Amino acid sequence: MGTLMKASLFVLAALAAASTHAAEPAGEAMAATCAACHGTHGKLGTVEYMPLAGMAEKEFVRAMQDFRSGKRLSTLMGHVANGFSDNEIRAMARYFATVK
Amino acid sequence: MLNRRDFLKAGAGLALAAALPVRAASGAGHVVIIGGGVGGATAAKYLKLYNPALRVTVIEANRTYLRPYGSSEVLTGHVSMDDLVVSYDALKSKYGVDFVFDTVVGFDPAKKQVRTAGRQRIAYDKLIVSPGISLQYQAIPGYSAAVAETRAPSGWIPGSQTALLTQQLKAMRPGGSFVIVAPPNPYRCPPGPYERAALVTEWMRKHNPTGKVLILDPKDSFVTDATMQLGWHRLYGYNIPNDYLSDMPAGVKNSGKPSPIDWVRAMDGGTTEKIDARTLTVTTKQGAVKADVLNIIPPMKAGKLAFDMGLTDASGWCPVDRRSFESSVHPDVFVIGDASIADAMPKSGFSANNQAKVTARAVVAQLAGRVPGEPVWSNTCYALAGSDYGLFVADVFRLKDGKIARVPGERYLPIDASPAKIRLAAAYQQAWLKTFTEDCFA
Amino acid sequence: MSRFPLLSGLILALSLAQSAVASSVPPAPRTPSVADVRGTLAAMPRGDVQRGKQLNQSLMCASCHGEAGVAPTQNWASLAGQRAAYTYKSLLDYQTGGRHENPRATLMQVAVKGMSRQDMADVAAYYASLPAMATAAPKLDAAAHARTDRLARRGDPARLLTPCASCHGAAGQGGVNETPALAGQSVGSFVRTMQDYREGRRVTDANRGMRQFAERLTMEEIRALAAYYAGMGKK
Repeated sequence: MGTLMKASLFVLAALAAASTHAAEPAGEAMAATCAACHGTHGKLGTVEYMPLAGMAEKEFVRAMQDFRSGKRLSTLMGHVANGFSDNEIRAMARYFATVK
Repeated sequence: MLNRRDFLKAGAGLALAAALPVRAASGAGHVVIIGGGVGGATAAKYLKLYNPALRVTVIEANRTYLRPYGSSEVLTGHVSMDDLVVSYDALKSKYGVDFVFDTVVGFDPAKKQVRTAGRQRIAYDKLIVSPGISLQYQAIPGYSAAVAETRAPSGWIPGSQTALLTQQLKAMRPGGSFVIVAPPNPYRCPPGPYERAALVTEWMRKHNPTGKVLILDPKDSFVTDATMQLGWHRLYGYNIPNDYLSDMPAGVKNSGKPSPIDWVRAMDGGTTEKIDARTLTVTTKQGAVKADVLNIIPPMKAGKLAFDMGLTDASGWCPVDRRSFESSVHPDVFVIGDASIADAMPKSGFSANNQAKVTARAVVAQLAGRVPGEPVWSNTCYALAGSDYGLFVADVFRLKDGKIARVPGERYLPIDASPAKIRLAAAYQQAWLKTFTEDCFA
Repeated sequence: MSRFPLLSGLILALSLAQSAVASSVPPAPRTPSVADVRGTLAAMPRGDVQRGKQLNQSLMCASCHGEAGVAPTQNWASLAGQRAAYTYKSLLDYQTGGRHENPRATLMQVAVKGMSRQDMADVAAYYASLPAMATAAPKLDAAAHARTDRLARRGDPARLLTPCASCHGAAGQGGVNETPALAGQSVGSFVRTMQDYREGRRVTDANRGMRQFAERLTMEEIRALAAYYAGMGKK
């Protein structure tokens, strides 16, 4: 099975799971807002931004929380992280951790 | 050109027309997308990612795409027109998206079919329309599409006008005036006219040191106005208006000396009343301004196709269900990107890209008989006050009481940002042009 | 103070001219000689650790390299415990355009604009004052570890590979021949760096020294060495 197919099936499963959470967007749905900078599914070649695909959950959560609190310096990631709750950050982290 | 009634009739008459057979929907469903710009391309790609079994067809007039984001950099020679070209090859070969390079001349919402100028009848289960903007040249007395093509370019949809404007800037006499007429709200790319003014000013310091840039504005403010003006002040000696001075970091003081860039706001008479194409004169509430190069960014509405298809309302933009961007006028038709009414979301490429994903998700769910999950969007746009001077607006959007609202919080580059942060923002802006294009088209 | 060979004086003059001009075309990168490197480093100002700590924040270095020099992600190099001379030379190489291996280098070129050589020496001193921290790495089984350890400490005469440790130290602390510390470097950074040398994207190593090693090692060996060094440093 090709990578594209695998990735698509994974996302489809995530979508199916998403419909049970009424008020909170699915991890994948939130993660998709990141792709314009961080790459589709968080995959980037050698570019100036951080690839997110496969990032360990703890690392992602720590980064977003530190951006949000200002502990970790950033240009605009602090503002972006401010848009998400801890629960939502964890959901995004779970999504990115599973991307190969 | 067909008026709207004829447009719909042309679609309705499909059964009688001797044309190619209507393509039946495949098992998983056939989603047709009109428009291969940022919104349409992203929708096509993500539909295929979310469900590879879907048939996805994009109907687009042009065989390649000219990206508008970052196109002001052509004016200053930082990139060439060729650098704006984006290919559809990856969408075709990597994701299996079908392309029909044609224009839509007929639409039958009851039969769920569209017809192209090349006489193809294409049936859809779901239709996504991403028609972009139309420039309302005629809204400014004395201005027209013909004038824009030959004399006072707009260059807000990239193409020959961008090239003409670039030529005119290069050929401008020493000490000449580059005048930008800024548009009223709402318009595509809120910081765009001001970034263009900044980059032209920077270019002129090297190539036309006595030249001037003047912005004539029917507005009093714009998104990123405080940080952009601070950049102009630091780089070009711009004099910051009194009501903005209190926002500025301590110690920022106007020299009072004339600056190569100036911004005439509506409150100071900057609203344009008419233009004279022959003499390149703009008559504003304040008086007459003679330009050597005149760049008019006119008022905008949804792309013409949206009107033809009956998707617009009295405002000239397309009302949609805020959850899925399904049209409020025609079921099973979705409108995304600049043409849609998206409340607090700015009309930007980033917004179109995000809307496309939410809509793709909604379409896939609808086709599978499911309720789509809660939507979320963001818009993070870097802009330049100079090649090494970056700033930005960054927002996350949620549904709130049926409308799309910003999550409250800081949205701009801090006004007291360090030089290192500002330089980094400029570097990130350049990187974004690449990664964004890849997420939409590859 | 040692004497300046004419050539390194020229390099320094170029560096100074470079840092004074905002956006000029950098000179074409050329492989330095050992004498070049020694000359550059002889002119390194004395670094102030406290000032370096502040600069790490105000110049946005911490955003990618971490508050305490441990990068929050493998995309950027860890700098905790890095030799000051090496950090200083790297920053100068970015400023002169000698380092241009990929878009991360482009970001670094932007980051060092406006940095004086004193600034560079200060941040270099700060990172040098921090302890190298062992970091996550794939576990090498006993046989692989033994092989890698032998490669690092004894080299491979058949391929004319002198031991890594002879320059980089038995504990990965660096220093001999101005080589960098490797202890606690992330696997991602280590492998990327070796690939950049191997594929000729990085050319600032004196006399092509590192390129020769990188070309003769296999990728499997490089990945094993990355894991080996990642595990060194404070636990």
